[in-house]
Amino acid sequence: MNAPFFKFGLFGDEASFIIAFVIGIGFGFFLERAGFGSGRKLAAQFYLRDLSVLKVMFTAIITAMTGLYMLSRFGMVDLSLVYLVPTFLVPQIVGGLLLGFGFVIGGYCPGTSCVSAVTGRIDGMVYVAGMIAGLVGFAEFYPYIQNLVTITPMGQITLPRLFNLPYGLLVFAVVLMALGAFMAGEWAEKKFGGKEPDPKGSLIGRPWRLTSVRILALALLAVGLVAAVSGAPYRGSRTTIDTKDLELRAAKGADSIQATDLANWIIQGRNDFKLVDLRAEKDFTAYHIPSAENVPLASLTPDLLAHNEKIILCSDDGTQAAKAWFLLEAQGYRFVYSLDGGMRAWQDTVLFPKKAAGVDAASSEKQAQMAKYFGGAQQAEGAAVSTTAAPLLPAPVAPVPQATPVTTGAKPQAGPQARKKKEGC
Amino acid sequence: MNTIERTPKPYWNSYWAGFGLGLVLLASFVIMGRGLGASGAFTTAVATAAHAVAPAHTENNAFYAEYLGDGTHSPLKDWLVFEVLGVFVGGFVSGALANRLKFFVEKGPRITTGRRLLFAFVGGGLMAIGAKIALGCTSGQALTGGALLNVGSWAFMWCVFGGAYALAYFFRKQWI
Repeated sequence: MNAPFFKFGLFGDEASFIIAFVIGIGFGFFLERAGFGSGRKLAAQFYLRDLSVLKVMFTAIITAMTGLYMLSRFGMVDLSLVYLVPTFLVPQIVGGLLLGFGFVIGGYCPGTSCVSAVTGRIDGMVYVAGMIAGLVGFAEFYPYIQNLVTITPMGQITLPRLFNLPYGLLVFAVVLMALGAFMAGEWAEKKFGGKEPDPKGSLIGRPWRLTSVRILALALLAVGLVAAVSGAPYRGSRTTIDTKDLELRAAKGADSIQATDLANWIIQGRNDFKLVDLRAEKDFTAYHIPSAENVPLASLTPDLLAHNEKIILCSDDGTQAAKAWFLLEAQGYRFVYSLDGGMRAWQDTVLFPKKAAGVDAASSEKQAQMAKYFGGAQQAEGAAVSTTAAPLLPAPVAPVPQATPVTTGAKPQAGPQARKKKEGC
Repeated sequence: MNTIERTPKPYWNSYWAGFGLGLVLLASFVIMGRGLGASGAFTTAVATAAHAVAPAHTENNAFYAEYLGDGTHSPLKDWLVFEVLGVFVGGFVSGALANRLKFFVEKGPRITTGRRLLFAFVGGGLMAIGAKIALGCTSGQALTGGALLNVGSWAFMWCVFGGAYALAYFFRKQWI
């Protein structure tokens, strides 16, 4: 199974809209079933009288999280292709607080307000109108705060990567935390809301009775426990390495990544690797591969990078990267690769590839599109490529590229400089 | 139809409703490689409407421009727009099946209708601004990012709860 299906090109944009509609129906259906069309039920969360918001939200989170972990762990889903909204810590804290204020004042959040409005609640409709007014106002105000909403960028980063902990262990921790919160929540409902727990639908109450919700909780706990001992869910991770293996990898070229492969990964919006540019800051500023981070070889210290992530090193022609590769491997980094041929190869095969003779039109077209995506251009067959190509290089792009849905190369990709629609919420 | 049939049915158990929602989210990850969303669709709709009214102004506005795409197709041909249309349909179907379709203003007993509607409007506005600053709302950030162990989403989620609990006391008359 090659999932996410859309990112593997199993269907196109048009079909994805039908899927969006169907998924949306499911989303709206369960929100309404949970009672989230009701502002009073939602707001009761903040008076500890009815903790449905906590229960529904965290059951959904741990269900999807454990399910996705298992599917990835057994190779059915490539987790690195699932889009992660980039982290901008301070704006997300400020935005979260504002959203919280809006929640308790208005009674809804955007998703639940749709359900509320469509089931006839006039306050839900007014809330939607307020949202539209807020968006119009924000748009006019945006140019003044544009620089503030992108402060403290951390890129596409997950908690396991931030804390350098096994992914599965965090999955388990979140399951435990959620189940603990559910039981505390039921206790609070009883104390503040005067609600006697429904014996069939709650976790606390008479012990040793196996009710259906307890079975659900136990099942989620069991999957979490398996996750805790199963390690990383990303594809292609290996667990052991020895010097013999190191020699073999170097000899077979398994220690390096081809420029075109890297280009494809960036276009697909993969987030499971870190691209480290070892060149001097001056060269980095002049041009760098999108998403690259500048760590000059001299400042490459052991604690700078996480040990369990895939690191791709690039330098001018690859020799610097090879040095750094040995350095990091010797320090116990497990997934280090170098960009084969360095920036020169990137320039020759991705940015300004020569149109080769005897190649079919499809792959030639693909080559041209890739060059265009990164702001370069395909070179005519036999054309002399200037060795001082620096002025030809496209302007440096933002360090955090927006992921682009893969369209199996059927349509021209928009360049990173071109305006692109946001993928996130 | 008799009156008994029109009585609203009780809501589902929160855990099972959450489990269903989680499966929908998981399906979205597996099929599309992305999670759920809500506020983005409203932004696209607002940007499209603004573009129809004042094209030049909208194109020069950095915020709107991000949602208008490259101009090769209508910005409304967007994944989130179709998803949110589905949310309306799904909510309606569920409400209809449970006899919960009814025009009324939902509020606590200690607040006037006018004030409740004013608060709903202000709350909606604040929520929209917060969602745009945070790059997502409770669906796109908290739910989706929460399940993906996204750093920013977890920071966001705690702040949503923190912000709501901080102001809850001042708005208690509206709800309880």
